[in-house]
Amino acid sequence: MKFYGTKIKHFTLRGVGLFCLLLAVLCSMAEGNDNLKHFSIAGVSPEKALKFGEHMYREGILPSGVPMEAVVKGDIPVEGTAFSCASCHLRSGLGSFEGLVVTPPTNGVNLFRPLKRFYRDVEVLSAPPLRPAYTDQTLADVIRVGVDPSGRTISETMPRYLLQDEDLSLLVFYLKSLSSQFSPGATSTTLRFATIVSDNVSPEEREAMLSPLENYVLTKNNQTRTYKKPPSNVRMEGWFAATHLELSLSQWVLKGPAETWRSQLEEHYRKEPVFALIGGTIRGDWRPVHDFSEENHIPGLFPITDFPVISENDWYTLYLSKGFYQEGEGAARYLNRIAEAVNDKVIIEIVRDTIEGQALSRGFQETWLETGHQPAVSVNLKKGEALTAKLLEQVLAGKKQYTLVLWDGPEALPALEAIAASAIKPESILLSYSYLDKSIRTLNEGLRDITFITYPFGLSQDKRGYKYDIPLMKKKVSGDAEKILKKTYSLLNILTQALIEMRGNYYRDNFFDVIGMMKDQRDPLYERLSFGPGQRYASKGCYIVQLGKGPNPELIKRSDWVIH
Amino acid sequence: MPTQKAFLPIIFFFLMAFLFCGDEVQAAPGEKYKRTLENYVVPDVTLVDQNGAKVKLRSLLSSKKVVMIDFIFTTCTTICPVLSAGFSNFQKRIGPDAGNVHLVSISIDPENDTPKKMKAYLQRYKAKPGWDFLTGNSNDIKKVLGALKASTADNKMYHLPLAILHSSSANQWVRIYGLIGTSDLIAEYNKVLGQ
Repeated sequence: MKFYGTKIKHFTLRGVGLFCLLLAVLCSMAEGNDNLKHFSIAGVSPEKALKFGEHMYREGILPSGVPMEAVVKGDIPVEGTAFSCASCHLRSGLGSFEGLVVTPPTNGVNLFRPLKRFYRDVEVLSAPPLRPAYTDQTLADVIRVGVDPSGRTISETMPRYLLQDEDLSLLVFYLKSLSSQFSPGATSTTLRFATIVSDNVSPEEREAMLSPLENYVLTKNNQTRTYKKPPSNVRMEGWFAATHLELSLSQWVLKGPAETWRSQLEEHYRKEPVFALIGGTIRGDWRPVHDFSEENHIPGLFPITDFPVISENDWYTLYLSKGFYQEGEGAARYLNRIAEAVNDKVIIEIVRDTIEGQALSRGFQETWLETGHQPAVSVNLKKGEALTAKLLEQVLAGKKQYTLVLWDGPEALPALEAIAASAIKPESILLSYSYLDKSIRTLNEGLRDITFITYPFGLSQDKRGYKYDIPLMKKKVSGDAEKILKKTYSLLNILTQALIEMRGNYYRDNFFDVIGMMKDQRDPLYERLSFGPGQRYASKGCYIVQLGKGPNPELIKRSDWVIH
Repeated sequence: MPTQKAFLPIIFFFLMAFLFCGDEVQAAPGEKYKRTLENYVVPDVTLVDQNGAKVKLRSLLSSKKVVMIDFIFTTCTTICPVLSAGFSNFQKRIGPDAGNVHLVSISIDPENDTPKKMKAYLQRYKAKPGWDFLTGNSNDIKKVLGALKASTADNKMYHLPLAILHSSSANQWVRIYGLIGTSDLIAEYNKVLGQ
């Protein structure tokens, strides 16, 4: 009994102790949960605080909807809408360099740790940090009055923002989270990429894109493996971070109708979150992939498409060009340039009802309006419907002098010859090189003097003084596959530079921020690629050319690369 | 180590000077900006303004008004907001005298800077009449930048904080190198106006 009594006593004591401990834990959890429920920043939930902070950082607008106010260079008042944090520190918060002005990083990781001294990417341990880590208070102080926690007055190029405490606390809260954890698909030594292919792309075109990409990843990883892997707790930063980077590339195949692609993309992403999409080739409009990127904040670099989404404000896809739209845009700019010559002339636009024709027409009409003109008369031709002189006569309604803008494929050329032989020969004709492709060179010589062609590529490489040999594939390719190969080359050129320039800061926004600061690039296909913060179409020009004489005519330049 | 500690700022200075300053004259310690007198020959090119109108640059810069030029682009991050806020504040502060001066911003990114984008940029900075923004074809812009010693070597990030002032009665141009506040800009404008 005594034994039992002892046992019971021990059990009871132990049990009571455990129970009390459990009760204490449960109570503290309940109290903690209560704290989380009531956790707020300036009276709003953390989610809302982040949104307000993001709006202040990116657009310079307070939660009240009023622009932030600041003073720069001592006596210049500025509004946040003209001088937002993101305009200098960039969207990722990793900072920028322009002229002689270095804008330091303002993301959470960098702000809330001491600013170390580095010499050629090696930390200088013998000297104290340049400044201690910010706290919430000292960060608020530097934003307001420009004095950092070491007591240093920072450059007057940084505005001093006139912010109330509540608004400042929202901004500080946002900065803590800004680029603080690597994006999905990234660690300090690995980056996962995916490329998208629709199942109706030809094997030759698919290979022209995939083969160089896969070889690139293989070569890069072989190089990386020659370096000793750094300890997992060492954060790889600086110019040499990319040497330790291993890449992976998945192929996401989209099957069936385009309406189902979006859900397929979400499923692919759910299974393997990637850092970014690179390249990619599908049949048709890039819209489903563009929207997927935009809504999931996944960068898409240089998809191989002639049908990009045209947007002034979308952020997450960087295109090589505006595709067919750009040729329409070029045509409108050219006609605007010679506006005096066409001032009182009629412009008739004929549009074949295909994805190519519609894209060309959108580019043309939108730019024509933008340059201050009334919409051009536009006629849709259904697939299979013939273009005839009779149709044009009806549209012209008695007028004789007109410019014909014709967005149609090879079947247009015999129709053009018939029209030119009729009583309503146009004064000038505009055609798309990409839509007509090789057949353009068969244009009747009698029409060449009056025919102008939108040509969205660089003109003969020999004339530009340099040649590209692209040893990315074992066998020679031509036609569309050759174009895809050249575009993939451009992609790999920019990707390589971006991997280095990110300097180990594998945040998705930083990927595009560093590309936005690149210099103009020569290119094997386009005349030039140019970049800038927020710019989303790297090739921005389109020549207008005419055909020379003979069965294999040269292309004669009739405009500048970019026309204003 | 003391040697390494002293060496670091020297290395940094030379690196910055070599990479980004070329033969640009630097402001001396204590100076807010560098002011020099220059001779420029403005090339005979036709540019396009924010309204899409063609502009003969030589005629524009031979104006009887004081002309003040800077070099910016619409998606610029760091220098241009300061320069443009400076132009905007300058227009506000000189008030009725704004009629005596023509502010001209020249795009260093002509491929991207269309009239539409330039107009939106000027609206963002509340530009008043008398401040124009010019773009053009790449070769013409390169000629202008070369002539006014503002070349960027196809890298927009290398563009420098410059303001160039000229009055029709003077042979030379005043070149301001550095980001300056409005009071200093007004003072420089008054000096040029008084010539």
